[in-house]
Amino acid sequence: MVKRILNIITFVLIVLLVSFQTKAQQPSVYEVKRMSFSSNGFSDISPVIVKDGIMFCSNRRFSGITDRTAFDGRRLYNIYLAEKKDTSAFRKPRILKSERSDKFNNGPLCLAPDGKTVYFTSEVETGEITTEKNFKNHNGIFIADLSGTDLISLRPFKYNNPQYEVGQPSVSKDGKYLFFASDMPGGQGGSDLYYCELINGEWAPPVNLGPKVNSSGIENYPYIHPSGRLYFSSNRPGGIGNLDVYYTSFNNGSWEDPVLLPKPINSTSDDFAFVAEDNLQTGYFSSNRRIEDNIYKFTSTIIRKASCDTLVDNNYCFRFFEENAVKYDTMPFRYEWKFGDGNNATGPVVEHCFSGPGTYLVQLDVVNLVTKEVTYNEKTETLVLTEIEQPYISAPDKIATGQRIKLNADSTNLPGWKIARYYWNFGDETIAIGKNVDKSYTKSGTYNIQLIVSAEPEPGGVVKYACVSKNIIVFRQP
Amino acid sequence: MFARLSGQPVPGKDENIPFLVTFGKDGKTSWGDADFYQIFFFSILKDFTQPIYIRVFDPDCGGEYDEIQDEFNTKTKFSVYGGKGVDPEKNEESRGLLKGLNYKSGNLLASKIFGNDAKYDNKYYTFGPFNPSEGDFNTRWNSYIFKIVCEGISGDDGNLYRYFLSSDPDNNIPIEGANAFTYAYHFRMWNDFKSVSHIYPYIDTGIVYIRQSNFDWDNDGNILVVSRYKQGVSVPISNEDNWIFSKIPIEPAEVKSSLDFQFHKRQDELVKNNNVVITLENQRGDAVKFFSSPIGGVPVYQPKVGYEKVKPKK
Repeated sequence: MVKRILNIITFVLIVLLVSFQTKAQQPSVYEVKRMSFSSNGFSDISPVIVKDGIMFCSNRRFSGITDRTAFDGRRLYNIYLAEKKDTSAFRKPRILKSERSDKFNNGPLCLAPDGKTVYFTSEVETGEITTEKNFKNHNGIFIADLSGTDLISLRPFKYNNPQYEVGQPSVSKDGKYLFFASDMPGGQGGSDLYYCELINGEWAPPVNLGPKVNSSGIENYPYIHPSGRLYFSSNRPGGIGNLDVYYTSFNNGSWEDPVLLPKPINSTSDDFAFVAEDNLQTGYFSSNRRIEDNIYKFTSTIIRKASCDTLVDNNYCFRFFEENAVKYDTMPFRYEWKFGDGNNATGPVVEHCFSGPGTYLVQLDVVNLVTKEVTYNEKTETLVLTEIEQPYISAPDKIATGQRIKLNADSTNLPGWKIARYYWNFGDETIAIGKNVDKSYTKSGTYNIQLIVSAEPEPGGVVKYACVSKNIIVFRQP
Repeated sequence: MFARLSGQPVPGKDENIPFLVTFGKDGKTSWGDADFYQIFFFSILKDFTQPIYIRVFDPDCGGEYDEIQDEFNTKTKFSVYGGKGVDPEKNEESRGLLKGLNYKSGNLLASKIFGNDAKYDNKYYTFGPFNPSEGDFNTRWNSYIFKIVCEGISGDDGNLYRYFLSSDPDNNIPIEGANAFTYAYHFRMWNDFKSVSHIYPYIDTGIVYIRQSNFDWDNDGNILVVSRYKQGVSVPISNEDNWIFSKIPIEPAEVKSSLDFQFHKRQDELVKNNNVVITLENQRGDAVKFFSSPIGGVPVYQPKVGYEKVKPKK
């Protein structure tokens, strides 16, 4: 009996260990946590990262006495600012009031690069009275100036239309592009993503992002990250829940296939309104995974270095020249080079590739064609060629979707380092650890792979690391 | 400027030129003299106050060395000038490059005509003594300038001769800090394959390129221009009785130093008794001086190897 119990315990332990090891092989990419200021009983959505904290939309009470509601009895959304108290805590959110705060929903929103101009969603007035029960004003985009906690000088976006929805603005880092969602006619179906380009101080007509980005379902909550990545939400097939967060990038004249963010950012519920810090290591999004809409903070466990050297191929090819000889074409001399590796060449300018690292004595003999005199070793140069000190990514430059490739860091040259870990960031929200790894990509595009090599801790606990990156082009398998 | 120089044989020791040459005015230019006179200048530092002498070796035209045409019938006149009008930096006419202009400017200090006279054959004739202060003072060089003009006043033979500026009438005793220069060099090439003659033009401030003109080289070999930065730029050479011109760019680093014009003899066939003329001017058309003792010393090429990484060829 005891033996049987021991066997069971042993089995359970083995299962637990295997389970633990499996998890260790595939580390979780993101950690998420509900924000402390996100309220119970109200809907908090659409965070915006600002210098002092986070702006967001909420239908929470903004007055202790009255509860503002729309004509249909639903509480109004307004724009709030949760200022940072310290590195992790936030003060109680304060409303950013405007002339529309008491009457209309306000938000989602974004802040222009100047930090003062606010683009926000709000209802467009038709100017007509209706008794229709299900009547609903359509949204448009409004532009205001931020003055303290007031939004002033409101003006409507020129492409607002009371016949359809226009909203959820996001302005690019350079201020030249305004992305937004709309169900205007002519789209791919449902709500689509559009952008307008600022030309001579005017927003040019909206451009649909096309069928690669927009599906027949819903695409909304665009967010253009400073890196150029466009995050958005969609309920297209192939997701994890209803609304899921995707991203795409504009490369070589077209938008790439959207990439679905993994769990736990996406869940079986609605996940939307994603924003991120410049380094993409932290950010915020909205989700109704706890029934109510709340704002969550995510922290990426993926290491991606903001500063990472581009991989440099070891190159031992040189052009040698007699500096003064190349200036004149009437030099009656013959220049004979010996490269110190058994190879020779003749001419005032010659090129030679050495086979690899080493010390080479390059000699120049000069034959005076007038006197026939030969000056041996007129000039010598000692070339010491070494491999570049860097982590090294051995990988093809181009692969097809679905093609499994092997990557290795065997040619890493970091003299004196006791390397503890080879960490691969494949640029598609996946990672791997090890000197030799496998990888395949499901979507076409250009991916920036980072190899981050870290050393054993030095005395004092300092861990040094080195990072190189390499682009790999993934083309669609025909 | 010439403080470290001494010895004024003309042609200079480093020049390795056997003789200067001047033909009688009835000679043919195809024999190697374009104008039948040659002018040289001597500079003596102001600090030197002893008498000076200009010695002419083999001033006669006959006997040894000189080039006979049928019979020796040539008279050559050597004239020494000092005083105002001599300094070619102040008086361009004095350089003797422009026909019809008075290259005999200055005070005539001494003059003598030589014919076919065995008394002076293979011997020195000495002009002087001259007080250095009888020269034309040049403030830039802090020196007194004397001029000696050799003219072939009659006949058609070639007079081959040399000069020596000396502090002694009977011996060649160099004068510290003195030098000699000309603007047009008429000289005799060696009669052997191996000997290389040189002349050393001085590259003064502001020179961007020089234009060389050489006359009656008879295609006798090659002219190479050498400096610290030029291993040997080839210069086209003239044929019988004609002039040829070319430009040679000057590197900024070559300014205030001398170039070495090397005259390499033709190797396939020995050209004998070849008399040649060479002049240089800068980009402004100003004549460039040749110094018998190269200013800054004989330039030696400094090889410079460079290298840079290139993309491997795939």
